[in-house]
Amino acid sequence: MATFWDIIHLLTETPIFFVAIIGLTWGIMGGALPGISASITMALVLPFTYAMDPAQAIALLACVYIGAEYGGSIPAILIRTPGTNSSAATVIDGYELNRQGRAGEALGISLMSGVVGSLFGLAMLILLTEPLSWLALAFTPASYFGLGILGLSVIASMSGGSLIKGLCAATVGLMISTVGTDPISGVTRFTFDIPDLIGGIEPVLVMVGLFALTELMSQSGSVGPAKLNASIRIKLPSWSMMNRLKRSQFIGCILGLFEGLTPGGGGSIAAFMSYNEARRWSKTPHLFGKGSEEGVAAPEAANNTVASTAMIPLLSFGIPSSNSTAVLLGGLLMHGLIPGPRLFEQSAQVIDSIYVGSFIAIIAQIGVGIIILPACIWLVNRPRHYRAGFIFALILSGIYTLNNSLFDLGIALGLGVVGYLMRLARFPVLPMILGVVLGHMVESSYRRSLVLSGGDLRVFLEDPIAVALLSLALVFIIFSLAREIRDARKAKLKEAHS
Amino acid sequence: MSIIKMIGKAASGLAALALLSSPAFAEPAAYPVKVVTLVTHSSPGGGSDVFLREMSKHLGKYINATFVVENVQGGSGAKAMARVASAPADGSVFYATTPTYIYTSLMSKPQSTYKDMQPLVNFFLDSEVVFTRTDGPFKSMKDVIEHAKKERGKWGAANPASLERQAAEQLKRAAGVNAAIVTHEGGGDMMLNVMNGTLDIGIGEIQELRSQLDAGKIKLLATFNPERIPDKADVPTIKEVGYDVSLVKFRGLAGPKGLPDATAAIWDKAVKDVLNDPEYKKAYAAEVLVAKPIDHKEYPSFVNNFASTTEEFLKTTGAIK
Repeated sequence: MATFWDIIHLLTETPIFFVAIIGLTWGIMGGALPGISASITMALVLPFTYAMDPAQAIALLACVYIGAEYGGSIPAILIRTPGTNSSAATVIDGYELNRQGRAGEALGISLMSGVVGSLFGLAMLILLTEPLSWLALAFTPASYFGLGILGLSVIASMSGGSLIKGLCAATVGLMISTVGTDPISGVTRFTFDIPDLIGGIEPVLVMVGLFALTELMSQSGSVGPAKLNASIRIKLPSWSMMNRLKRSQFIGCILGLFEGLTPGGGGSIAAFMSYNEARRWSKTPHLFGKGSEEGVAAPEAANNTVASTAMIPLLSFGIPSSNSTAVLLGGLLMHGLIPGPRLFEQSAQVIDSIYVGSFIAIIAQIGVGIIILPACIWLVNRPRHYRAGFIFALILSGIYTLNNSLFDLGIALGLGVVGYLMRLARFPVLPMILGVVLGHMVESSYRRSLVLSGGDLRVFLEDPIAVALLSLALVFIIFSLAREIRDARKAKLKEAHS
Repeated sequence: MSIIKMIGKAASGLAALALLSSPAFAEPAAYPVKVVTLVTHSSPGGGSDVFLREMSKHLGKYINATFVVENVQGGSGAKAMARVASAPADGSVFYATTPTYIYTSLMSKPQSTYKDMQPLVNFFLDSEVVFTRTDGPFKSMKDVIEHAKKERGKWGAANPASLERQAAEQLKRAAGVNAAIVTHEGGGDMMLNVMNGTLDIGIGEIQELRSQLDAGKIKLLATFNPERIPDKADVPTIKEVGYDVSLVKFRGLAGPKGLPDATAAIWDKAVKDVLNDPEYKKAYAAEVLVAKPIDHKEYPSFVNNFASTTEEFLKTTGAIK
């Protein structure tokens, strides 16, 4: 453990300060570009770190990760396109606020919630790495199945009124997730001998198709105000607002902490679940989906927390829990640093610079945000014909860079049409996205558990974590159903009265 | 450190880079093209990516060309194979070979397969090992087999269509035991399941285990290598334990078909030289990579041999027809 003075020394040292700010700014830009995920943003700077001092190189990558997780929320709010997978949940209320001309407010909330989440995650990383790393070990394949089902239980309350339609959409999403290589046997499924499908359909294509392209299509077909926002000013949340957001941010932080520890998720599950929990515990749940501030705060706190807590299993076991931490692992290995308990003793300087760099980056995030966000708002408030073309080009080039594949463009465009038709028929798209995001994890952990148990389903009842998560999911589903039935009755009564 | 020092550092780094590619540094062999693109299906920071980037740092001393690493991800190598197979055969594009490209060729039947490329040279063998948690009930490979004979063993393999899985299946058959072979999506996932006791053993590459090995949380029980790992001389091979199973996870290069012999010969020499380079030796010894240079005359039969064994295995298990 470093002494206080070591930390002060590092803080005042010039390079780490610059490294943190450069990393953060790069991260925000990469994260904000649709299709450029946090991991790609990090991979792009990886070659530049070869010639750097290991401590600074790793701090740079960590800061890029923090920036990218935050940056993803900017297009989510402004153009209904999640910049990263984990900012998909931010789209729901963030874009709604933007449509109401409150983009500055929404961006301010996501900025500050991101800072809160990052600071919480960093505190956990610094103080509780050792005990938390053992929590990561407690998760067996059966527990992952429980976690996935808990995530899917959110569908019940995200179906926007019609549970049947929600379930239909979710099933289609789950079906999309089965395309590609079978996670257990390695045989290819539903690929129709198309090589581009061997790796499956990436969730980001589905998100971009259903959210962004659908929105562009329906905007082109409607007459509305050419300008959305009169002001390009960023409005940071006031103290009373922060106080109101406290609960949803807390939910986001806790769920983000858990997801960061467990391999596989990379933030999207925590973001969706915290959105749902924030609504459950909110005083104004009816505002969710119609421009709720809490609906932006919860997922943003969650995915920013993940950027720090995902380092816990990485640094203590060398196990990357997401694509982004896998790139970070590559960076560590390139500099001859082997993550694990001994890294903390042997390369304390590297660990300290991760902590210090992250801290500087989180604080600087506020400043960088205030500088670049007005430009972003200005950009999306150009006359509609320019804006639509610009966004279209931006999204398509982002998708193309993902795998340099025209096939991916076709998939995203096709799903854009599907999304448009779903909107016309009033099918909710969120359950479908959730199905795509979680399907793989649910399927592979279910089947892996059954391989372990020799086909005995009791494996899910013998694992305490799985039992807890599955029963929680059951309780949620029952509550959501009860609420739906109650709401339907109320609506009927109203009709009868009027 | 001041900012001036940092700039100085960056400048010296650039100078070092310039030196690497300049002929004055050593005496690199003349090469027909100026830029050589090394293609990998692995993502930046992944296994083959790290291998190529580290190697290309040192290769400039022996071949007079600039080396660029290109990540062509997607389709478990299907896209990268298509990219390389259709490239000009002038020595400007190569593909980093690992058993993955054989598996993908056989199982996914992409447009371009390993047959559409010409294996060039081999660099390394990765060490495949059997490991278990240190505080677990298994002290040796014998315990693991005994347990699987009496009850049901739980063995982990890092990926579904992989050499590790094949190793596990073959060992299971050779020992005549009852074991569930649980495939994962990557070594990290499997490591957690070995450490928390869900699995008896895991089979994986030694590189992925280093941190836990160093920390003493896991221990090696055996290796699937044909010979003992020089660095871990006390770990027996599976053959020594009594089962006739061994496997070679190769790392080399393949190019488009029709590469001129003269160009390939430059590589034959460069491989030997770069593997003897003291600086590089230090780097790859730390990664527990076993140097195994194979020249361009022998490498095709080595790879084809591997492919036919794999195909036979996949057919007997019913994974392919």
